Amino acid sequence: MLFPTATFAIFFLIVLPLSWLTMPWPHRWRPFIVIASYVFYSWWDWRFVFLLAGCTVWNQVLAVRIWRTPDRSRRKALLFLALAGDLGVLGYFKYYDFFVSSTDNMATVVGLDLPFSLKTIVLPVGISFFTFMAISYVVDAYRGDFQPTTLEKFAVYLSFFPHLVAGPIVRPGELIPQLETPRDPRRVDTSRAFYLIATGLFKKVVIANYLASSIVDQVFAAPGQHSSLEILIAVYAYAVQIYADFSGYTDIAIGIALLLGFSFPQNFDSPYAAVSVQDFWRRWHMTLSRWLRDYVYIPLGGNRRGSVATYRNLMLTMLIGGLWHGAAWTFVVWGGLHGAALAGERWWRERSDAAAPRATGWPLWRARILTFHFVCLAWIFFRSDSFASAWDMIEGLFTQWGRPSPLVTSGVLLALAVGIGSQYLPARVPRILMARFSRLPVLAQATVLALALMLTSVLGPEGVAPFIYFQF
Amino acid sequence: MAERRLPQLPPLLDDETRTLEQAAPAGDEAPPEKPRRRPRLDDEGPPRKLWSAGHALVVCVLALAIGLLLNAPGIHKSAYNKQAGWQRDVALAVTGPLAGVSGALLLDRPREGVQALVGRSGSDEIHTDLGLPAAAPVTTPLTRVAPKPAGSSAPTPGKAAAPHKVAFSPKKKLRIWIAGDSLVITPGYAIVRAAGPSPALETVGSVDGRVATGLTRPDVFNWFDEIRRQAKELRPKAVVLAFGGNDDKAYMTGLPDGASIGDFGSWAWRKEYGRRVGGVIDALNRAGAFVIWIGLPQTRDADQTRRFDVVNSVVVKQTRKRPGRAAYIDTYTAFAGDDGGYAEYLHTGSGKLEKVRAGDGVHFERAGGDIIARLVLRELNKEFDLTSWRKKPNA
Repeated sequence: MLFPTATFAIFFLIVLPLSWLTMPWPHRWRPFIVIASYVFYSWWDWRFVFLLAGCTVWNQVLAVRIWRTPDRSRRKALLFLALAGDLGVLGYFKYYDFFVSSTDNMATVVGLDLPFSLKTIVLPVGISFFTFMAISYVVDAYRGDFQPTTLEKFAVYLSFFPHLVAGPIVRPGELIPQLETPRDPRRVDTSRAFYLIATGLFKKVVIANYLASSIVDQVFAAPGQHSSLEILIAVYAYAVQIYADFSGYTDIAIGIALLLGFSFPQNFDSPYAAVSVQDFWRRWHMTLSRWLRDYVYIPLGGNRRGSVATYRNLMLTMLIGGLWHGAAWTFVVWGGLHGAALAGERWWRERSDAAAPRATGWPLWRARILTFHFVCLAWIFFRSDSFASAWDMIEGLFTQWGRPSPLVTSGVLLALAVGIGSQYLPARVPRILMARFSRLPVLAQATVLALALMLTSVLGPEGVAPFIYFQF
Repeated sequence: MAERRLPQLPPLLDDETRTLEQAAPAGDEAPPEKPRRRPRLDDEGPPRKLWSAGHALVVCVLALAIGLLLNAPGIHKSAYNKQAGWQRDVALAVTGPLAGVSGALLLDRPREGVQALVGRSGSDEIHTDLGLPAAAPVTTPLTRVAPKPAGSSAPTPGKAAAPHKVAFSPKKKLRIWIAGDSLVITPGYAIVRAAGPSPALETVGSVDGRVATGLTRPDVFNWFDEIRRQAKELRPKAVVLAFGGNDDKAYMTGLPDGASIGDFGSWAWRKEYGRRVGGVIDALNRAGAFVIWIGLPQTRDADQTRRFDVVNSVVVKQTRKRPGRAAYIDTYTAFAGDDGGYAEYLHTGSGKLEKVRAGDGVHFERAGGDIIARLVLRELNKEFDLTSWRKKPNA
């Protein structure tokens, strides 16, 4: 069930009143919301509801056991068991064929014929997201940071439909305490919720889909047939497309959760205004980057064991982050590029004047432009389906000038300008808009939203393309 | 309703402002740097009025109701385009009167205005006319020409003068147009890539792959109009088509008056679908284009594969009726695994084990598209002379 569809609208119009009506009785509300979330999830493939339920029970049982076990080594063993189960399931569904085909191809090079067989495995939607949330639950229990809750509440935490298939990756400490007491039905931040839903829909349906169909898909599919200018604009357009697509999804998810009375963490904060790669990761997919920091980077040793170990840890963390996005070597290279850039920046900072004043004016813009272009370069590997294709894109950037560029239209340039320009919109502007909207009478609010829906419907292409991050 | 400031949201974790390498358990290292930016809190800025959950519901319902009226023509078209069944019947029963009310209250005007502004006027209209040519189809092969008349060069004694393949060269390129449903997109781009290095080939227009379309539902997208329009505009000499992936249903629009098609795969269904396939090929032949039709592959779903077999059998029959004017590419066999069944991975031409089918079990991955592109280029080389210009210095 995709957010921008009539099916979801009907689903939500049923769930919203029932959720608030049952809210005063948590023992009724929790089973209700779990069932609603399972219905939402089963719209893709009902069989995977059992996987989600199994993941819930597995992690709950082990988290409780870990919490109750005083013996450190036994707790560690239980943690490894939980992680093995979670990562085993993720590995099977997401990486089995990737592993087998990569191994087979390497073996073929040295003349070996391995007895592996490939399976036709359907990837459950959102498995990477709910697996990571489950891992944070058991690891937090192991660290003593968070006491495991009841199965009922954990099931809500893991399956709550607004975040279920593409995040944000919510931490136990952020959502489970909100489940302890009923939300106050008299104090709902509706203006922020509606603002996020309307802008999220516009970003996804209009900006992302338009750029994908107008230039990105065509150029990335056959870079050799396009001019350097088209390739350059397509790379910029993909940067805007993936931002509009993914941040649009999380905006809608956060808005829907707000209407149900729950607060999710922010996931994007103008990432293309970043002044360094480190800054980019503070602003891009923030819930994933902090997950990687807390559950990969710090356990690896963080920056506690000297410079070389820190660089290694940064690289390993980002390689894992790359592989999390998909079972392909291009994602690994994307992660590696970011890891190398983070390590390089750190190396540079250690050797430059730490007390240097914060950049302003041209140095600030130079840093922003350089960071944006580095991120765009890495996106080429992220988007391309092979190294050959990525290399064709990069080569084409330099060797195909002078050809006609029919795909670089005013519409594409306008969408790019809106996508990049919005990153520099002062934070006050949306807040003023939300505040003004909140003071409108009911009918005026509904009319504004209906007009926004109409604009999105008319300006967007026909049909609804899946969200990019569903595949991760 | 009382106005009040936003509730104090849970404070963002301290970690929020730390970066990857700054973060570490407390006491394990030097304290983290001071955050460079003040974290943005949701309750900054002018105060927002908080409303009740009931208000949220009322606004949602009203916004959807007004939105339905403003978008009624588009919603009615979407309802019309749905697959046949009770859901479509219900949707049409609701959206038909809704469109009527919207029109009567002039609430459809803002939508029309915006559509006109962005050059999409008329996109809510429903066209089901196939416009299949009543004239007799082309019957002569498009890939062969008669030998030059006597006098230009003396025929070899004792040998019958066979027709030559139509020749193309860098000066007179074979113009290829690629169109179809979503199954043509990946192979289409693979053909564009494969044709790129050949000086005698030129792909024209962009790969015209339209998701969820086909020949059975001109109301969803009228390919019959589109094909005639593009054939006139782009003047291709070869057209690569892929249709059928969405046509495996017992429902068609644009039927002749009084016609019925019965169940999917019935004699009447095959006859009507064959009329459409043949009509498309004839329209393109009449515009001077040879047609290469990419057949449907087997899919992960055995039932769907059986339905695709039916569609393929109709297409094969129509292409065989038109030798020298149409050819069929058999992807069913080309993508079969070792056991003859569906395979997601295959050893490709490079000897590598590659993923050739997409995760949905139906579409192609890039390596799969490359396989089809090779088959298409082989077919073009079989039907046309694309290389003799190399022997002629002034070609």
